[in-house]
Amino acid sequence: MINDLKDKTSPVENLSREELTDVIDLALWAGQLLLQYGATSRRVEETVHQIGTALGCDWLDVLVSYNAITVSSNSGGDFRTKIRRVVNRGVNMTIVSAIYRLRDKILNHKLNRTQVRQELDRISHKQPIYNRWLIVIMIGLACAAFSRLFGGDWIAFGITFTAASIAMFTRQVLQKHYFNPLLITLATAFIATIITGLSIRLNLGTQPEIALAASVLLLIPGVPLVNSVIDVVRGYVVIGMARGIAGALITFAIALGMLLAMQLLGVSGL
Amino acid sequence: MNIVQILLEAFWSGIAALGFALLFNVPRRTLFACFLFGAMGNTVKFMILHFGINIGFATLSGAALVGFLGVGFSKKLYAPPPVLSIPGIIPMIPGTFAYKAMIGILKIATGKLQTDPDLIRFTVLNGTQTMIILIAISIGIAIPNLLFARKKPVV
Repeated sequence: MINDLKDKTSPVENLSREELTDVIDLALWAGQLLLQYGATSRRVEETVHQIGTALGCDWLDVLVSYNAITVSSNSGGDFRTKIRRVVNRGVNMTIVSAIYRLRDKILNHKLNRTQVRQELDRISHKQPIYNRWLIVIMIGLACAAFSRLFGGDWIAFGITFTAASIAMFTRQVLQKHYFNPLLITLATAFIATIITGLSIRLNLGTQPEIALAASVLLLIPGVPLVNSVIDVVRGYVVIGMARGIAGALITFAIALGMLLAMQLLGVSGL
Repeated sequence: MNIVQILLEAFWSGIAALGFALLFNVPRRTLFACFLFGAMGNTVKFMILHFGINIGFATLSGAALVGFLGVGFSKKLYAPPPVLSIPGIIPMIPGTFAYKAMIGILKIATGKLQTDPDLIRFTVLNGTQTMIILIAISIGIAIPNLLFARKKPVV
């Protein structure tokens, strides 16, 4: 198959071993950023393959798994294989978007390897666009919006906004100190529920269960859960299952945090 | 259900999508689209639910709309479709169902079954709702690709 392709598109120079190493490194780097910041497995596999072949390989085989990507690149009779670890860093659409644009550039304008390396370096050092306080406020508002959608009144809106904002702030602080993600989720859900639970103890408002339900929604792992199903549908069953279990565990941590807080305050609203 | 209610519903759905769009660090130029797609998708879902059709189909329709909008505006806004459609489906995520199912499991584990015989029903109901809605969302946003943008696999 590979030799057939070669014959049709000849003359193509085979890459040297050093060049092959360089190409596989760049393609893997792009794949790592995609998987790390919330792309689906099919997108990761396609993009890594396209970048590698556009940079001169004959073929790339890509294995996407939950916390690593393995790639074999072929050129002529020669091949090289490399694994790159991927850690889960949440969702960052700006980086995902930038990698897709880089891929299009490589496919259209034929960037050389040095330029691709510079671009990848620039993309991976991108700072977050939005101020952390803005995110705290907007996530508070988003959860409060959910309380409206559940039919809550303005008191429930206010309680949810306060609880969710403080929870988001706590989450940012804990993330900065590299706590385990499950532990962060548990602690954040605990704090959000303590605040809404206190409002129940103080008899604020008439719809305590709505604030209780809406204030922890910032923690729901929506993207991993949706990506999990998309992966399974697309045939990436193993990573899809892994993502689903990770999402279920996070959800479990939310429930545990809420129950602990409710027991501590002696309230039951659900 | 009057027009004011529908618009309010749409507005709050849009705000929820916008909040999560900021958390997901979407490019600035796509923020308004995220707000709009979140509002439209969830409103379609609510309206279909209002006609008494089940939540699975309602969510599927809402998510499919968001998926098509994402693909349709991807060139114009210079962003890949998922960047536009993922924040748009956030208001439909079955968050409360998901953790209520987990709370049910935890309560069963701590032996609350004697005092609350309805617990198993509560847990199973919330769990299956979560799964059905999640599957509906995922298939929904993938519909443009599954049905129309088919191509020979790259790899």
